[in-house]
This record gives sequence, structure tokens and C-alpha cells, in this order.
Amino acid sequence: MRFCLITVPFLALVALLTLFAGNGPQLPLIFVSQWVPALGVQFAWRIDGLSVLMLFMITGVGSAVFMYANGYMRGNPQRMRMLVLLTLFMVAMVLCVCADDLIVLFLSWEATSILSFLLVGFQYEKKTARKSAQQALLITGGGGLFLLIGFLLLAQQGDSFSLSSLVRSLPDLPRTPQLYAAMGLILIGTFTKSAQFPFHFWLPNAMAAPTPVSAYLHSATMVKLGIYLLARFDAGLDCSHGWQLCLQTIGSITAAWGMVLVLKERDLKRILAWSTVATLGTLVAFVGLPGQHAAFAVVALLLAHALYKAPLFFVAGNIDKGVGTRIIDHLSGLGRAMPWTAIAALLAGISMAGLPFSLGHVTKGLIGLAKETTTVLSIVPMANLIFNAIAVGVATVAAVRVFWWHPVKTDAPGTAQEGSFSMVTPPLVLAGCGIMCGIFPQSLKPLMDQAVQAMLQQGTLDFLPLQAVTDFDFPLLLMVLTLGAIFFFLWDVLHRIVDVVVNPLIKRIGAAAFYARSLAALPGLAAGFTRRIQHGRLPGYLATILIFCTLILGYLLWQARPYIQQPPLSLNGSAWLAWGAVILIATGAITAAMVKSRLTMVLAATLVGYGSALLFLFAGAPDVALTQFVVDTVFVIVVAAVLLTLTKISPAAVPEPGWRPGAFVLALTFATLITLLLMATVSQPFSSEIPDWFSAQSVPTAHGRNVVNVILVDFRAFDTLGEITVVLLSLVAALAVLGKSRGLELSLPHSHQQNNTSATASIVVEVAARYLYPLMIAVSLFMLFRGHNEPGGGFIGGLLAATASILWAIAKDVPASWQRMPLQTPLTLSATGLALAAFSGVPGWCAGKEYLTHLWFDLPLGWTTLPLSTTLLFDLGVYLCVWGAVGGYALHLLAGDEPAENLVVERSAT
Amino acid sequence: MMPALVCALWISLAASLYLVLSRDTLRCVIGLGLMGNAVNLLLLASGRLQYTQPAIVPPGESALTLAANPLPQALVLTAIVIGFALLCFSLVVVMAIAERSGKDDLLLLRYTEPKDTASVAPPFLEEEKETPWQP
Repeated sequence: MRFCLITVPFLALVALLTLFAGNGPQLPLIFVSQWVPALGVQFAWRIDGLSVLMLFMITGVGSAVFMYANGYMRGNPQRMRMLVLLTLFMVAMVLCVCADDLIVLFLSWEATSILSFLLVGFQYEKKTARKSAQQALLITGGGGLFLLIGFLLLAQQGDSFSLSSLVRSLPDLPRTPQLYAAMGLILIGTFTKSAQFPFHFWLPNAMAAPTPVSAYLHSATMVKLGIYLLARFDAGLDCSHGWQLCLQTIGSITAAWGMVLVLKERDLKRILAWSTVATLGTLVAFVGLPGQHAAFAVVALLLAHALYKAPLFFVAGNIDKGVGTRIIDHLSGLGRAMPWTAIAALLAGISMAGLPFSLGHVTKGLIGLAKETTTVLSIVPMANLIFNAIAVGVATVAAVRVFWWHPVKTDAPGTAQEGSFSMVTPPLVLAGCGIMCGIFPQSLKPLMDQAVQAMLQQGTLDFLPLQAVTDFDFPLLLMVLTLGAIFFFLWDVLHRIVDVVVNPLIKRIGAAAFYARSLAALPGLAAGFTRRIQHGRLPGYLATILIFCTLILGYLLWQARPYIQQPPLSLNGSAWLAWGAVILIATGAITAAMVKSRLTMVLAATLVGYGSALLFLFAGAPDVALTQFVVDTVFVIVVAAVLLTLTKISPAAVPEPGWRPGAFVLALTFATLITLLLMATVSQPFSSEIPDWFSAQSVPTAHGRNVVNVILVDFRAFDTLGEITVVLLSLVAALAVLGKSRGLELSLPHSHQQNNTSATASIVVEVAARYLYPLMIAVSLFMLFRGHNEPGGGFIGGLLAATASILWAIAKDVPASWQRMPLQTPLTLSATGLALAAFSGVPGWCAGKEYLTHLWFDLPLGWTTLPLSTTLLFDLGVYLCVWGAVGGYALHLLAGDEPAENLVVERSAT
Repeated sequence: MMPALVCALWISLAASLYLVLSRDTLRCVIGLGLMGNAVNLLLLASGRLQYTQPAIVPPGESALTLAANPLPQALVLTAIVIGFALLCFSLVVVMAIAERSGKDDLLLLRYTEPKDTASVAPPFLEEEKETPWQP
């Protein structure tokens, strides 16, 4: 299994070579299949010259890395895990460079970020590994988010998700702000991936990963993804000034700054990492240069960098394994003990320094050509100079100083062991390739030509100017050697200067410091936010809800301004009556809001209820008015009982200011908005189709003249069934809450004989109740039976019966009223009513119609027939349910202020 | 009829919201009840109030003519009863809160769970020190 995994990239490389070397299929290869047609997203793949170049790098360096990883992790139980993750990463990279659809590209981009996270945090027991992995993921993942938004905006502007067609159409797209935003976001995404300034600091920290990972991901492939994407877009944006400016600036700053920071490091891997950052900066800057020479420079540097940086990382890994440390202060004279590694380092160093007979030299020539022949910002050559100079220095340190001759006397390490075959071969092969390609650059010509063609989207171009770059340039060579010597001898001095000058500055205002500070501030910010928002005060929460609703409603009503019209004022008889009711409502409302005494507030609230009932009456809704009257009567009794209990528990009044300006303003604003909403609604034409249907069908099909009642028990009987279910359920829930605090259930009282100690109202009430109670029950039944043809119905009847029970409870006491209610407990009564109402729909079901279709039949009574129906059963069910529920509530709340001894203390099994 | 109803809605809704934002639990619940009442007025008014004749077919005829809209009346009737049931339930809850915690001041009833020791929990109110904020 392990062997299979190791050979995967090698096999892929062989496949690539056989396919494309010689007369392979014509590029570009395209494969498209449907994925999400509704959004225009496809599974689109496109392999062109640039993809082939990247694929060669991925599989070529991958073969070396896999072989190296196998040797590096020998003896480590996690070896298989490393190989699996590396394979997955390789697959993700391949998908990314072949993808032609923006969404497919994004998904593989994110996959590489996640796999990088897993690989950097490979040794997850170490805290540094975890922190570095988290940093890498946050930065590249965050960049990925920006990238996605940029992609979506771009797809919207270009009307397609296909990368190749978008790039082709980019020069012609109108320069809208959205397009600039899209490109800006995409740039941010690529900059985070390719460690450009100011997102550069994650790359050296990612050196906490094992060496094979660093060599593969963070030098040769993953970080080049950003460059790849920029190169893709370069085809469309090469001529755009903003593009050139942005890329050249950021790239040059990164290149120069990265190389300066090389000097402050002592860990060999971190030195290599910073030089990678600088190389990426150079690549970005040269992508920003227009013209084909710059494109050739980019392609050459991509390849050359992979071929010299990966071997150098392997060398660092070999040193780590063989000596035990990577700090260059403690490394010198290793050449004797580790000869093969030393040779590999030398070959790679030659390429990095740009000495002749190496691919690095060819690249340097191309870069020089690009700088001369295109319009370029002055910052680019300056940064390139710094880059070249310090790159030579790094090469000399890695190749010469560590292995051969150290200019300063240092303590040589005790034992150094050469790496195994599989650890020494890969760097030798890769570095050797770099040298061979430098000696025979023609071999790379077809590859590079195709890549540049893909980058520039031009048909024919001047082929690779090989002559110009392979000529011996003596002055340049001399300069390089001089620079190398300077850095070789002065490395420590420069290091000390940078350490003293630059380090404190970075620690305070550097990008990494900023990142660390933001991350540390995040929990504090979250805590502060939570404390402010989740403060636990109910009035505050209610105020927040109301403010938001006010804002939204206000905005909507502002849009609907023309529809708000004043309703017409009419001055006929019923209008006067209505205004009288309104005065009652107003008095009640204002008193309730402003008064301090809670009892007065309750009475004022009841006055509002009675006023509304009158208003309902005058508006032609007698059923509703009756219901409102009775409900308000029960309301005042129930609330008064609760008030009594509350006062006993907490006698001190709540210290509330009488005048609360904030609440006042908020209440007034919201009420005004709702009123305006009503006025806007009412000014619209009204379609009376549904009410007309009800009115027309009420008598013929439902045999009832009270249309409201017919709607409730016949046409919309299911709604009513649901409603009484809700009422019953609320009683059950209330019993659960009450039961907990009192610990018992009210059952048949046997202590009601001693009710004389409880507070009865007065002898008048007691005597009157004896006659009023049966009268009220009779009236309630009358209301029930007449409801179908006159104002009345089950609800009103039930409420009146409940009022009767309350009267009895006030006149005598609660257990007495309890006993007088039919069916033992209010809960049972209510449930029976619900069952009856539910059952009344069954006969219609059995007769083949819908559930709750009411059936009518005439009962012959001699001289006349009595029409009976299941409607009466339904209404009776509603009656019982409402009586039980409202009566139950009232009795339980009234019992609240009775001493517990008067209530039953037995748990009877009812 | 409509202007009267509009005024009634406005005043009762404003008063009810003022009560709902109060610090006293009972005032809050009564405000809720009043708000339900105001919304019932809104519902009835949105069914248009041109005709104030009750929606009862006169005996002998077979359809309504020029009567009030029966449909919002049915809905409001349902709403009144359910609203009352929920109001009663709210009162039960108020009583239970008062019995268990001994207070009915909403600004002092800030915690439904025991004190949290996590570092990002809201600060525990020290009863005497903090002056409670109120809208």
C-alpha cells in the first residue's frame, strides 16, 4: 500500500511526459460536464500550456517529495498518514490547475488550504505546530473567502462561470465599480495564498511542518497557486494600468522586504522560507509587467525556483536528521560527513545564485531582458537588485558556509550522519535537473512556449530568446561573485544590524504583530459584545425588538407614502356612538398607563376592554361584543386575585419612575406606524369575494342565519377545533407550572365544610348567588342553543358558564365552586368538551364526506320538525371546553390567595 | 366609524406598549393583554367598516345584503378567546415567578440559570451596586 502511494506522482509524471512530449494531443484539452445548470456552474476542465507547466511541477517535485518523505519518516508510526495527506494534496493541486470553472477552482483552492492546515499541524502535539497551522488556515482560508466573493462578483459581471471565457472577455467588460471590487477581492485572495505583503508572515511560521511538507507545499506548489491564478488573469488584464501598478508594487515590496527579513533568521528552514516569500514577490511583480518577455521570465522563474528551492529544503531536512539542529550558528564543515547532501546543496546553490550553466542563470537573463524591454515602475528593478543580492548570500550560506568553509570559527557539531538513499537521491535529482536545463535550455522550449502562449493568449509569438540569455556576461558574473563574497563574509554583521534595527519595529507594528493582537483581542471583543447584548433584562430585550420593528416598518411605510390616506369622516348616528366608545377606551388606556396603583391600572384596563366591546357592538359585530364583555369581566376578577397574591408575596411596590420618556417615545412611534399601516391598508380597494361567498352559502348549505357562528362551527370548524385545543393545552401547561409551586393537585374537596373561615364577600352576594348561579347557567345554555341563527354560540355560552362558576367561588369558596362544576375537575370538563367537538366531525366522515362536515336531519315532533345536527354537538363541545378551561384558570388563580389548608391535601387517584 | 377605530387603535396600542416596557411584571402582562385588544381592533378595521348592520341573515331571506363583514369577526372572536387563555397563562407564570424568587421586578430577574463560571459569561448583577437601566 505504501509503495503504491509513493509511486503515484511518479506514474503521473511518466504519463504526462508520454502524453505531451513529442507529438501529443493538441492543447488546450477541454472537458465539460453539467453540474448545476440552474446557476451556470459546470464541471469544466481545461488543460493548456500553463496547466501543463504546473502539472509537471506538481508531479515532478511530487515524485521527489514522496520518495523523500518515505525516507524521512522511516520509523515514524505516522508515515502512512503523511503519505495519504500528501497524495490528497497532490490531487487537489491537480484539480486546481486543470479547473476551468470558477466554483471548481475555488473548491480545490480551499481543499489545498485545508490540506495545508492538516500537514502543517502534522505533529499536533507540539504547540508551535498547532498555532502555525491555525495561522496558515486563518489567513489562507480568510483569503479564500474574499476570493469566493470576488469570483461571484466577477461571474455576475461577465455573465459566466467559465474561467477561460471570462478571461477572454475581460478587456471588453465595462469598468464598473463591481468589476474593480471583484478584481480587488480576487487579488486579496491570491495575495494571501502566495504570502504577499501584508499577508506574508504565515509562510515562515509554516516551517513548523515536517520538511517534506515544506518542500512540497510551501516552496514548490501550493504557494505558487496564487501566481498561477494571477497568470491566468494576466491574459485579460495585461494592458490594464491598475493591474500593472498593483502587482508591481505589492510584488516588489514583498520581494525586498522578504529578503531583508532573511537576514534576521538563524534557522536554516526559516531563511529558505523568507527567500521563498521574496521569490513569490518577484513573480508577482513580473506578472504585473506587460509583454511577453515578462511572461517568459515568470514561467522560467516558476520552474527554476521549484528546481532549486525544493532540494535546498531537502538539504535542510537532511541536516536536521543528521545533525539534530538547523541553527546555522552551530553548523559548519559538514561536507566531509555528508558529501551527497553537500553536492546537492552546491548544485541548488549555483542555480539560486544565478551562476552560469544553471536554470537560475537562464532565468536571470530573462528577468533582465524583461526589465529592459517593458515599461516598468522604478520600484521593480530596485527590489530585484536587493532580491538578487541577498539571494546570492542565501545560496552561499546554504551551500558553502554550512558544508565547507565557515568564515568565523564556530563549534563544529559532534556527529553528522548522511541521509539514507531515499533522502539523498531526490535533492540530487532535482538540483541536477536544474543544472541540466540550464545547460540545455532548448529542451524546455516547447514547454515554456506553450505556457507563455496560454498566459498571453496570443497566436504566434517570438520564441524563447535563448541566444540572448545564454551568452556569457562577464561583468554580471563578476558582480555576482563579488556580492556572494560580501554576503559570505558579512552575513553575521548584517544579521546583527537587522536584528537590532528591524526586529523591534516588526514586533510592534509588523503584520504578524497585528495578526497576533487581533487574535488575542477576539475573545475579549466577543465577551464584551455578549455582555452588552445579552444583558438579561426583559424590558431591554423588548425595547430592542420594538426599535428594530419600528425601523423596518418605518422604512416600508416611507416607501408606501402615497397609499396612506385619511379615512373619510362620517357623522351619522352610529358614528357618534362610536366616538363615545373611543372616549371610554382613551380614558381607560391613558389611566392604565399613567397610574401608580396597580389595582386602578387593572380597572382601567378593564375599561378599555369594555370600551372596545362597545365599539365592536357599534361596528356591527354583536357576537364579538358579547365575547369581549364576558372576557373582560372574567379578566378583572382573575387579575385582581393574582394582584392579591402578588402583594402578599412582595408587598413593596416596584420602584419605577412614573414617567419613562424612552418608553413613551418608542410606544408612541410604534403605535403611530401601525396606525399608518392600517390607514394605508384601508385605502386600497377591497375584494369582498370571500365574505360574499360565506354570506350567500350560510343559509342554503349550513342552515344558519348567524353567518359568524356558521363560519366558526361549520365552514372553518377545523380552525375552531384547533383553537379550543390551544386553550386546553394552555390550561394543562398552567397546571404544570402551578402544580410545581404548590406541589399538589386540586381534587375533590372535603374541607369545604370549614369554609366559614375563608373570606366571603358579603351576605348579599352569597344569597344573590344562590339564585344567580342557576340563572346564569340557563342563560349560557340559551346562548349556546340560539347561536346558530342569532348572536350567541358556544364561546359566549362557555364564558358565561365560567362566569357563573366564578360568582359561586366568590360567594362561597373555591372548593364549593369546584364541586359544582360538572365532571369533577375543570380539566376533565374541558377535555370532554374537546373530545365531543372532535367526535362531532366523525359522522360526516362516516357518511363519506370530509371530516367535520356537519350533518342535518329533521326530528319529527308531531306538529313540527326539529332540525338537529352535529353542529350542536360541536358547539356543545366548544361550550364545555371553554367553561372548563376558563373556569379552571379562574378557580386556580382565585385559590391562590386561600390558605393551603383549605384546599385538599390528598392525592386522589382520579 | 373608521376614524374612531383608528383613534382607538392608536391610543390603546401606545398605552399597551408603554405598559409592556415597564419594569413591573404585572404591568408588563396587562400591557400584553391590552396589546392583544388593540390588535383585535386592527383586525376588525382591516375588514372594512362600511356597513354596521350585524352579519345575521334576516329570517325568510337566504343571503346577507349590506351587512358587516363576517369573516374578520370570526377571526377576532377566536383571537379574543385564545388571547385570554394566554393572558391567564402569563398570569400563572407571573405568580410562579413571584412565589419562587420573591420578586416581581423584571430588572432584578436577570438570571434563569445558576451563575456561570466561564470567562465570557455576562457579569452577575450585584444587587445593591448596579443601578438598573430601563428604557
